Parts: sequence; C-alpha cells; structure tokens
Amino acid sequence: MKPSIRIQTEDFDLGAEYQLLRQLDAAVGAIVTFTGLVRDLEKDSSINSLTLQHYPGMTESLLQEIVDQAAARWDLIGLTVIHRVGKLLPSDQIVFVGVASQHRADAFEAAQFVMDYLKTKATFWKKVEQDGQQHWVESKDSDQAASQRWANDD
Amino acid sequence: MIKLLFFGRLGDFAEGVTPNIEARADLTPAKIRDQLAADHPALFAELSQPQVLISLNQMIVGWEQPVFDGAELAFLPPVTGG
Repeated sequence: MKPSIRIQTEDFDLGAEYQLLRQLDAAVGAIVTFTGLVRDLEKDSSINSLTLQHYPGMTESLLQEIVDQAAARWDLIGLTVIHRVGKLLPSDQIVFVGVASQHRADAFEAAQFVMDYLKTKATFWKKVEQDGQQHWVESKDSDQAASQRWANDD
Repeated sequence: MIKLLFFGRLGDFAEGVTPNIEARADLTPAKIRDQLAADHPALFAELSQPQVLISLNQMIVGWEQPVFDGAELAFLPPVTGG
C-alpha cells in the first residue's frame, strides 16, 4: 500500500491526485475521492474567512496512524490524505482523501473511515472570522458519533 | 526546561503565560495546570474542562504522567479539522 500524507498551505488539484492514484498499479479497479470545502455559513451566518491551525509533527503522526489503521482493515493499493492549513476563504478546498483499491467496497469504506477519524483525532483547529470577529469552531457531537461507529464495528 | 504549548481556543487564554517552565521532581501535567491557577484563573478553568487532552512529546498521555526535563507538553482542546 502506497500512502501519501501532506499538510500544506497551498491548494491541491483533484485531477492530478486522481491520476497519481490511478497510475499506482494496474490492479487498481476503484478510486474513491472526497474533498472538503470551506462553507460560506457557520451557525447560519456568513463567514469572511477560516483559519486552520495544527500541531506540526503530531498531526503527521496521527494521520499516519489513521492511514495505518485503514490499511490494516481494508485491502488498499493507495491512500492519499492532504489537509490544508492557514487562512482559507469560502469555497476553498480544505481536505482531500483519495483511496485506490481493487474493489469499490474497500475504497468507499476506507475513505469514510479516514475522514471520520481525521475529524475527531487529527490535531487541527478551525477559527472563523464573522463580521470582523474571530472565534474558534466548536467540535460537533455528530462527528464523535460518526467516528465511534467504526470502533463499534470491531 | 519544559516547553508548554496551547492550541486552539486555549491559546487565547494562554496569552502572557511563560512558554518554558523549570523542571523539578515529581512534576505531572496536573501539577503544571494547577501551578497556572493563581496567575491565569481563566486558563486554569479552560484546562480543567474534561474534553481537554494533553500530549507529552507528541503522544497523548494522562494527567498523572511524569514530566521530565526537556519535555514538550501540549494542551489540546477538541479538534475541529477536516
């Protein structure tokens, strides 16, 4: 399994990432990609910008752990995780997860698992600016529940 | 010395906190938090929230883990990435 984990300020190209996964191996029969974007609304009011902070070093280790767990659980050929940090604007791309496997079930499930775990375990924090005021985004119980269901499956 | 890091909203409450503290015997994250109570009561209250996690040298640990000289101790509010 060929993992690629990147934390970066610059944007990413969905097409280029898809091609990288596609070219990994002739055995690739399924590729699932997920892209997360900055919404224009937070708690029903519009935002000016979103700033992502992370814990350099620890974030990479935690993402590696999540990728390792996915690789142990599903039959995967490639797994790419890209997460942007710094200041972003509405509609900007934040996060990319791409999974290549022989069969679709592995790719679908692993992509969802990686996103659910990333949202509740990886050391990123979002701050939004609304009407000139900055505040930190609160974590959601629904994200905890989404992550928890994978633990219950064990 | 022990390096202290405060992420997310905890960083706002930690303004003015000395980022390096002297190492001494029997130090734990809980004792370091308690030491901050007198000068930084709002930060202490935030750090006492049950959702706050701590990492020592970038590994998640418990509040009673021994903290040695040269360690990096980070206080982590619930994460909100993705």
